[in-house]
Amino acid sequence: MSAPPATPVWAAALRLDGRLGGVARRWAPPLALAIPLCLVAAALEGVHSGFPSTWLLGVPRWFDNLNNWVTNNDSSNFFLHTIVGGFGNLLNDATNDIVNLLHWMTWVGVLAVSTAIAWLVGSWRTALFSALVVASFGVLQIPNGGPNGISEMWPSAMTTLALMTVAIILSTIVGIPLGIASAVWPTVHKLLRPLLDLMQILPAFAYLVPIVVLFSIGNPAGIVATFIYAVPPLVRFTELGIRSVRKDVIEAAESFGSTRRQVLRNVQLPLAAQAIMLGLNQVIMMALSIVVIASLIGAGGLGDPVLAALQTQQIGEGFVAGLLIVLMAMWLDRTSAAIGERARERTSTRRLTRRQLLGLWAGLLVLVLVARYGLGLGDWPAGWGFSVVDNATRALNWVTNEFTGIAGPISSFLTLDILNPLQRYLTDLPWWLVAAVVGTIGWARGGSRRGVLLAGCVVLLGLMQAPVGYTFQGTTSYNFVAWNDAMETFSLVIVALALDLIVGIPLGIAAYRWRVMDRVLRPILDTLQTLPAFVYLIPMVALFGVGNVAGVSASLIYALPAAVRATTLGLRAVQRDVLEAGQAFGSTRWQLLFKVELPIARPYLMLAVNQTILLVMAEVVVAGLVGAGGLGLDVVTGFSRSEVGLGAAAGLAMVLMGIVLDRLSQSNPDRARAAAS
Amino acid sequence: MSCRDLWKVFGAHAAKAIESGDVHLGRAELMAKTGCTVAARDVSFDVVRGEVFVVMGLSGSGKSTLVRCLTRLIEPTSGAVSICSRDVLGAQPKELREIRRTKVSMVFQHFGLFPHRTVIDNVAYGLEVQGIDRPTRYARASELLEVVGLSPVKTSYPDQLSGGMQQRVGLARALAVDPEVLIFDEAFSALDPLIRREMQDEVLRLQERLQKTVIFVTHDLDEALKLGDRIAIMKDGRFVQVGTPADIVGAPADDYVREFVRDVPRGKVLTAAYATQPRSGEMPEEVVRHDQHLNELLPVVFGAKGPIGVVDGTGELVGILDRRMVIHVLAGREELSTPEELASPGQP
Ligand SMILES: Nc1ncnc2c1ncn2[C@@H]1O[C@H](COP(=O)(O)OP(=O)(O)OP(=O)(O)O)[C@@H](O)[C@H]1O
Ligand SMILES: [Mg+2]
Repeated sequence: MSAPPATPVWAAALRLDGRLGGVARRWAPPLALAIPLCLVAAALEGVHSGFPSTWLLGVPRWFDNLNNWVTNNDSSNFFLHTIVGGFGNLLNDATNDIVNLLHWMTWVGVLAVSTAIAWLVGSWRTALFSALVVASFGVLQIPNGGPNGISEMWPSAMTTLALMTVAIILSTIVGIPLGIASAVWPTVHKLLRPLLDLMQILPAFAYLVPIVVLFSIGNPAGIVATFIYAVPPLVRFTELGIRSVRKDVIEAAESFGSTRRQVLRNVQLPLAAQAIMLGLNQVIMMALSIVVIASLIGAGGLGDPVLAALQTQQIGEGFVAGLLIVLMAMWLDRTSAAIGERARERTSTRRLTRRQLLGLWAGLLVLVLVARYGLGLGDWPAGWGFSVVDNATRALNWVTNEFTGIAGPISSFLTLDILNPLQRYLTDLPWWLVAAVVGTIGWARGGSRRGVLLAGCVVLLGLMQAPVGYTFQGTTSYNFVAWNDAMETFSLVIVALALDLIVGIPLGIAAYRWRVMDRVLRPILDTLQTLPAFVYLIPMVALFGVGNVAGVSASLIYALPAAVRATTLGLRAVQRDVLEAGQAFGSTRWQLLFKVELPIARPYLMLAVNQTILLVMAEVVVAGLVGAGGLGLDVVTGFSRSEVGLGAAAGLAMVLMGIVLDRLSQSNPDRARAAAS
Repeated sequence: MSCRDLWKVFGAHAAKAIESGDVHLGRAELMAKTGCTVAARDVSFDVVRGEVFVVMGLSGSGKSTLVRCLTRLIEPTSGAVSICSRDVLGAQPKELREIRRTKVSMVFQHFGLFPHRTVIDNVAYGLEVQGIDRPTRYARASELLEVVGLSPVKTSYPDQLSGGMQQRVGLARALAVDPEVLIFDEAFSALDPLIRREMQDEVLRLQERLQKTVIFVTHDLDEALKLGDRIAIMKDGRFVQVGTPADIVGAPADDYVREFVRDVPRGKVLTAAYATQPRSGEMPEEVVRHDQHLNELLPVVFGAKGPIGVVDGTGELVGILDRRMVIHVLAGREELSTPEELASPGQP
């Protein structure tokens, strides 16, 4: 028999198969044994080494120096003053102008204009929803004495709306041309792709500090952070939209002697319009999902009360502001989705003729003028609303009280029996062992280059630390051991990931097998997937208090939909005739599942792991806001105490950790992505 | 329109492969040695106004590549192409665009319609890129939609039309710029047989009226025989035979062509000339024209008692129709249809 040997179990577990050369095959079995042995031995022997405290690059000092330099040269250096400063001012002015405009329009104007736009691009239902959301900005209030002394939410909501508008406009003017350039010139594509890949696996926390160093705390920094976080999907969608225009259609255009420009303008861009709208929709959702983080670096608006609430555990106030952010997200999402829908339907069912449209705008203008100068209206009247805080607080208190009986034990079990020991174990692992394990798995996954790269990342991560007893110019001093903090973050990631997979994969299988289950899960998952990351922190803090457990549980829920979805998708992708073949051999339902469906769905399951890891990591880091430890907490601390070097070095450590986790969980990116699409 | 010594070699080292003479290797060998594929191999042909020149061959023989080389939608490796006595391969981008805009149009296999444009905007596209104003181009487009019978669906979008209608749009779009040369790349292959026949008739009808220079790519022999004034049989990038339908069927150049035409209803393609014994002398009682198809002659052949004379276009006697030969020719018997015997069957 000359049949190739079946892939051994260990190889399957490590996802080693025919694609690897002979060397890998020969060395894989001893390594596959050696890795767990080493890890167990390390645990038993109690090797206490971690990362040597004297090995460092001095990264925190670089950033502290840089910050110092920027502060001193802010007004004299051309680049800082004119370019960065000018750009910052531009963003600030734009935001202020829009805020002023929104206030000038009075609440009547804002309500009328937003409703009219929603009606024009969508249906009366979109319009109604829009009106309700805008009204809720005024109706839902926090009583005086709330955090930051805010009482009505209307002004905050207008500020957030203005910030979003500026960030979205900035993303559009940068993202769409970049996407076009990337579709047209292969060089641009080659340069952009790794950058976009990196940006998509980075938690926003990673680049907050450098932004603040450049723009200092305030609206511009918030807008820039939002922009960086939100723009990648727009670039990708634009490029994808242009690239996926059928070749023969382009050829036809060329055959009529179109110039390259004409092909782009007449054929590619119109056909990509829908994809671009989808990208814009993503931008909006992502921008709204980091409103709270943007508040951390000085963007005002609805993020402030949420942030304050999370940090002071005044959950009720945070709940209201958070709710408004979510409502704003849904409102903008629906409106922009309606525009996309229009683009798709294409039968330009314009609601109004040009004249009517002009009339509508004129009418709105008159309405605004009357409201402003005739009736002397302004922001939403304070009396027209009710305070939901008391009710929200009461409800949350009730929940907390009801569940303390369960929450307490869960919390202490997770902390004492799982998180702490795991963290201690990981922190104590000798750095070379971790580097070797990461390098080996990386090598098994993606060849020797990836192995070396990832092992290098591990070492580099350790080198981010500050020296023991670090001080800077006598004013700053902090203790930053990157290794330990990364391992703490990693321990949280592991626990949340494990729970996600334990819960998510069976749920995914259930949703695949039983239609009822699917029908129950679908709306829940849809909702969970649209909620911004910070939302999950609010109830978890209420339940478990600040700390690691709240962070882990929020991450768990945040990433769960991805795990469930990818599993179901993978199983659904199994072709019907393959299933029938399986059935024809008399397999039972479960045999079919384990012998045919799950193995075929394996690329999707790998994708599920990959996505879940990235989402978990993003949320674990954000959970630094509620005192979950590790690198996220370092960034938060860096801000609250203006320790720039600490925050920036922790951010870099996050970048490295993100790369390692992503590449370890991704066996063949193109293949997995192809499977997913 | 003329095309001289055209080569197209795909692959990074195309020029080197031609220089070294490696291109004369077999397909697999060339691939192994240089990583190149030859899609057009020293192709030369001329097409005149009013003529339909069919390029036919199996899948992968290089038909699409060849016709795309003519307008440089694919850049040829070497050779010369002239359209309306303008050198295409030497043209600068601007001039090339000008040629594409006004001299040549293409009709594509999968229609290549712009899905986001209405039918009329599709048809007007060629005029639009020329910078012609909207009323003028709409007027012209409407005219052509009238011609192909699609006036009622002017404002529909392509995906609201059936395949046949879509290709009519493609045809109208190609005609709208009033090109001298029309190129069809398997334009009807995606259509079902009935619609296909309808479209072929449409092309014949239009050609009669418009007298364009037509290059028609197909892999369907019936289509080739029906439309072609001349047919080029392509294999591995080379023209193995170029001739009239009757030449191709009656005197296949090699086994490849013979295999191709084996199942053709020969009586429909071959003419009296193929079964004529040269003879001069007095005119027999029964006479047929030399270019009449054998099928229509069968009643005469078996009805007439005496010899049957064959006359040419001017009424001059060129020979006698040989009944035995008619049967052999119709049956496709080798011994009687060797190239030597039939080299110039029409001449006495
Ligand atoms: N871009 C390309 N790169 C490399 N080889 C190519 C390329 N395009 C075509 N070829 C090769 O050139 C040869 C001719 O292809 P072409 O598409 O011209 O054939 P065709 O006769 O039109 O076939 P079909 O009837 O399937 O359309 C094929 O062997 C094909 O593999
Ligand atoms: Mg072809």
